[in-house]
Amino acid sequence: MRRRREWIIVASVAAATAVLLYFLPLFHVVPLDQARQRSEGTAIDPVALVDRFWAERWTSSAARAVDAVDLMTAVQQDRKSARRTHSRSVGVGGAYYYLVAGTGRVTSVEKDSVRLSLRDGQPQMEVALETGNIFGNAVRDGTGLWNVNDFPNSQDFNALSSELNHRIEQQVVPALRKEATVGAKVRFVGCAEIMDEETDLHPLRIVPFIVEAP
Amino acid sequence: MHRTSSWIILPLVLLLLIGIAGCGGSSSVKRAATPRIAVIISTLNNPWFVVLGDTAKQHATQLGYEVVVFDSQNDPAKEAAHFENVIASGYAAVLFNPTDADGSIANVRRAKQAGIPVFCMDREINDTETAVSQILSDNYSGCVDLGRYFVKQVGESGKYVELLGLVGDNNTWNRSRGFHSVVDRYPGLQMVAQQSADFDRAKALEVMEAILQANPAIDAVFCGNDAMAMGVYQALVAAGKDKQVKVFGFDGADDVVKLIREGKIVATGMQFPKLMARTAAESADKYLKGDRDFPQKIPVAVHLVHQANADKYGDYGRKDTE
Repeated sequence: MRRRREWIIVASVAAATAVLLYFLPLFHVVPLDQARQRSEGTAIDPVALVDRFWAERWTSSAARAVDAVDLMTAVQQDRKSARRTHSRSVGVGGAYYYLVAGTGRVTSVEKDSVRLSLRDGQPQMEVALETGNIFGNAVRDGTGLWNVNDFPNSQDFNALSSELNHRIEQQVVPALRKEATVGAKVRFVGCAEIMDEETDLHPLRIVPFIVEAP
Repeated sequence: MHRTSSWIILPLVLLLLIGIAGCGGSSSVKRAATPRIAVIISTLNNPWFVVLGDTAKQHATQLGYEVVVFDSQNDPAKEAAHFENVIASGYAAVLFNPTDADGSIANVRRAKQAGIPVFCMDREINDTETAVSQILSDNYSGCVDLGRYFVKQVGESGKYVELLGLVGDNNTWNRSRGFHSVVDRYPGLQMVAQQSADFDRAKALEVMEAILQANPAIDAVFCGNDAMAMGVYQALVAAGKDKQVKVFGFDGADDVVKLIREGKIVATGMQFPKLMARTAAESADKYLKGDRDFPQKIPVAVHLVHQANADKYGDYGRKDTE
């Protein structure tokens, strides 16, 4: 009788412990790779990312850019088709982007932009290269080189945009302002952000990350 | 002899149980017959989050789930208790609006360990391995756009006030940093006061009245959410300054979009709570039906709403897309 009572006590303690441990396990067995990844964490250095982009921008981005005349022609024929064929977007419900390259003649120099005509005498073939303060995510998202899922949080992803914009302001905008006299020819590679098709396609406003006199 | 053996067996059984529990990191709690989804919201004291929670509930219900909404009341301890409850009760999934980007990670991790998938809505957690997917509003970029529009409307010089939300909330600072990444580039724009009003309309009214006493000549006010923008506008009307001071909000609340149409508030950033909630509910449903292919982060853009385009927005979204 006493023995039976002891076994009942043992079984009850074991059952109670089982319930407790089910909800509050003392440890977890995880694969080593997973544990290592957790302990290493992630460090994002936006300056290093932009250094690499800057060194490789001709091959990584310029070579993939759509020709500006082809794009403007496609946009004028059918915006939706042009978007499907040439644009990229990030996430849901936002802007879309064109990575675009071309050569044009300067038609006017404004406070925050330089207007280029891609074909002489065709005003619908004009684009504007941004030369003011550069804001937004046009180059980060337009080039398609970076994925938000590779960044631990959105602040790091936004820091990349800030660094890209800063680099463009420091190294591209001054050179463009210097070259941009009315009538001069300018070759460019850059990205355009389209949030509102009614206002952002005419003229296409491009944040250039490469400019040169051909 | 028998008595001795039973006291030897007991520790052995305990050790075995400890081992089994430890290896059961991804084991699941028994599920209820009708799968249940928990919607855990940071606070239901703000109409925007009520829309987020209600829409998540509505879509999950339409998809055939029993849904319970939990209000964390901006309290991480309450949020942790909700997760304990959800795990113990065997919910199938959690649609989650966190209170804290770092502090909420542990809750999501516990749910994951119990085999319960978590889908974050609107606010992110600073971890990319615990939630199945995070459907996030890009507050920083939205406020970059708002900052650019602010400079267009106010000009490159002037005096302005900033009202911050809860100072412990990530979104407060993402919005403020996005805004300042633009306006701080214009040295002529001078911020004469920066104060928190906790995302609260009544508090914003009170804070703005005090600020106007000390700074009667201001040109604009940037508010970290629309509830505060409404409070600020009310204070400006009372002081007879509503025509000269430009007010900017953030969220896309219906009453603010209406005032933008009427030219009384200048602009806001439209977040899309219904779109985010719907995406989260649909993702949870797909996951529970076996799909495992989800991007960790799905950014949802914030749209700038101003008088010229305000007719296209309303009911917490864009009319032609939602």
